[in-house]
Amino acid sequence: MVTKTEEAQLSRLESQVDNGGGGAWDFLCLVRKLKVRRSDKVLKHGLSLLKDPRKRSALGPDEWTLYEQVAIAAIDCHSLEVAKDCIKALQKRFPESKRVGRLEGMLLEAKGSWSEAEKAYSSLLEENPFDQVVHKRKIAMAKAQGNITVAIELLNKYLETFMADHDAWRELAEIYVSLQMYKQAAFCYEELILSQPTNPLYHLTYADVLYTIGGQENLQTAKKYYASTIQLTGGKNRRALFGVCLCTSAISQLSKGRNKEDNGTELQSLAATALEKDYKQRAPDKLQLLTSALKSLRVSS
Amino acid sequence: MGFGFTVGVLGVLILFHAAYSTIQYRGLLKIMEEEFSGPPITVVGELVIGLVLCMWAALTVPGKFLSIHPDSEENRIVSLPENLDFMIFNHRGRVFPSQVDLKLKH
Repeated sequence: MVTKTEEAQLSRLESQVDNGGGGAWDFLCLVRKLKVRRSDKVLKHGLSLLKDPRKRSALGPDEWTLYEQVAIAAIDCHSLEVAKDCIKALQKRFPESKRVGRLEGMLLEAKGSWSEAEKAYSSLLEENPFDQVVHKRKIAMAKAQGNITVAIELLNKYLETFMADHDAWRELAEIYVSLQMYKQAAFCYEELILSQPTNPLYHLTYADVLYTIGGQENLQTAKKYYASTIQLTGGKNRRALFGVCLCTSAISQLSKGRNKEDNGTELQSLAATALEKDYKQRAPDKLQLLTSALKSLRVSS
Repeated sequence: MGFGFTVGVLGVLILFHAAYSTIQYRGLLKIMEEEFSGPPITVVGELVIGLVLCMWAALTVPGKFLSIHPDSEENRIVSLPENLDFMIFNHRGRVFPSQVDLKLKH
């Protein structure tokens, strides 16, 4: 999870490191902690740390963590020579390590030699059939090769064993959304909300999926989840505010014939005022666009 | 930190002194053969002062309070971590050659 303060800290450190202000190790630590994908910068700054023998020895045992981080970043940036050197250094220090074996598998993946990577992962799994990361790498490999159906199958099988792994649930949900299988994706997001009920982003995505499916009942539920997102973020999530407005107008459009009195219009006007206030503060030149868009929503209702 | 700690120690000492005074007072009452109905007003005042000092020290010395509101800046989640366990490498990044001559040598 990346909170607002952590995000600000990361961007501050990033600009500081980019402008040569030092603090590269702190930046790399934060990148690792927040699990953000900044491979090019990790590669650049991590490598300069590793090249300097004095700085490297100052890290102590963290040196090997840095080697691993740089190796993965190098694989991601397709600088396979660097990755190979890092992995070689790790192998020298930790012979027969499974974690290093995993890195080798990833290197094979990046080279595109899928069958060899598959073989490497299978031998790792033989030694330890409950290595979650290796299972995930196999799934990612199926995805990378374009076998989405195989990836889904593997993920479902994986989730039968490791049901509490919310990263895997999220991956499955994202795959389903990319295939426009919204009902299945909604189920995965329900699982995610159950495992982390205070994370507003899952509520938001679940509401998005329900809104996309459409229908009176789904729209009502979507509105509720948009509202809970607003509650959890203190009204600072603009997407949720827009979502409430859209849901309300869609619901009133659907129930036009019945002419039912609904109390949702109050929520909509509240969300609209919050949006207008926000735009007035941050982007006054785009306020016109917002008011016209909101007006069109209200006209249709 | 040092100041708050000193205040805390002072508060505890005051409380000890209040206890000692109460015991002394009870001893006096026994000699005078009177019933104990409550500590004298000065001891009660001492107790209150000691309590306030201890409370203030206990609230300030251990550190700042952290927010428990989900919508505060420290707790509000703005983005999910990348799903790094599922990262795949055949993206467009491989087409761009790395800008610097990267090489790890020892």
